Amino acid sequence: MLGIDTRIKRGSGELAILALLDREPLHGYEISKRIAQQTGGVLQFNLASLYPLLYRMEKRGWVKGKWEEAKSGRQRRYYHLTRNGKKQLAPLREEWGMFFQALHRIAGVTHAG
Amino acid sequence: MPDNSTYLRERLGRLGIETRREDEIVRELGEHLEDHAAALEARGVTSGAAAREALDSVSDWPGLRHEIVSAETEETIMNYRTKVLWLPALCAITLSNGIVALMQIFGRPPDSYWLSASGKSMQVLSAFIVPWLISQSVVGAIAAHWSRRAGGTVRYQLLAALSPAIVLLGLFLLVIPSSILLHKQALHNIRLSAFMIVTLTWVLLPALPLLIGAAPFLRKPQAQS
Repeated sequence: MLGIDTRIKRGSGELAILALLDREPLHGYEISKRIAQQTGGVLQFNLASLYPLLYRMEKRGWVKGKWEEAKSGRQRRYYHLTRNGKKQLAPLREEWGMFFQALHRIAGVTHAG
Repeated sequence: MPDNSTYLRERLGRLGIETRREDEIVRELGEHLEDHAAALEARGVTSGAAAREALDSVSDWPGLRHEIVSAETEETIMNYRTKVLWLPALCAITLSNGIVALMQIFGRPPDSYWLSASGKSMQVLSAFIVPWLISQSVVGAIAAHWSRRAGGTVRYQLLAALSPAIVLLGLFLLVIPSSILLHKQALHNIRLSAFMIVTLTWVLLPALPLLIGAAPFLRKPQAQS
């Protein structure tokens, strides 16, 4: 059974990845970089934590990886959000919103931003 | 930065998945390490130190291997569609047919509806079991709820709920006409009107309670953990 910290990290990672890919397709390294940048370093995914998560999401049909040429000219595996992934985004947002509201009610935890 | 694939293969070992997929994973992880090292070099770290630091960013290679294999095999065994459609549909079909079989085994006679043909003789219009039709609402509810809990969209929830009727429709539309074509003598026994009535009785009528049962559960999917 997964620990609560692992489940929270995985769940938040799924939401972060889906939200990023909703804007544009990105490759793995760019995803980890943007998550770190846009969360001010609060959420950090390295190679070991990012790719198993991406592969799970791909197997579920939420994202689809395709080898494409990057601006640098190198072939990179870009992840695209699928229709199923788009459909997951709204309920995930809702669940996390409820999660933070619940924490706020019980412990006064509020959004930083 | 030197080619990472040999290093990655040494560290990860054989993943025991399809070779092409394994090669793709090694290549993708190698690209990530290369980007990581390049980013460090851009910050002034020497080439050799950047490469080492990128490789050292993974502290638990057996753990990573386990996570990758788990991610790759878990969903291969049971992919999204299996969870949200095929399993609830199989459950609904089994339940639906199981209930009708039990009713027949325990001697529940079908409710027959009669039609007077040209006012002279009486012909059976259709025969079906009313309690079975009522039970279909529960079957539809179970299938739709299961699909929704597994993360199925409304379309999958609907398909899972209606699957017992869809299977029978497929049976009537494909098997009966093809058997008529293959065995021409069947033409004498199966008339179009009878075929339509049977389809109405065993497909459209059960579809209605299936749909009614499913209706309260046809909502946006619950996100998967």
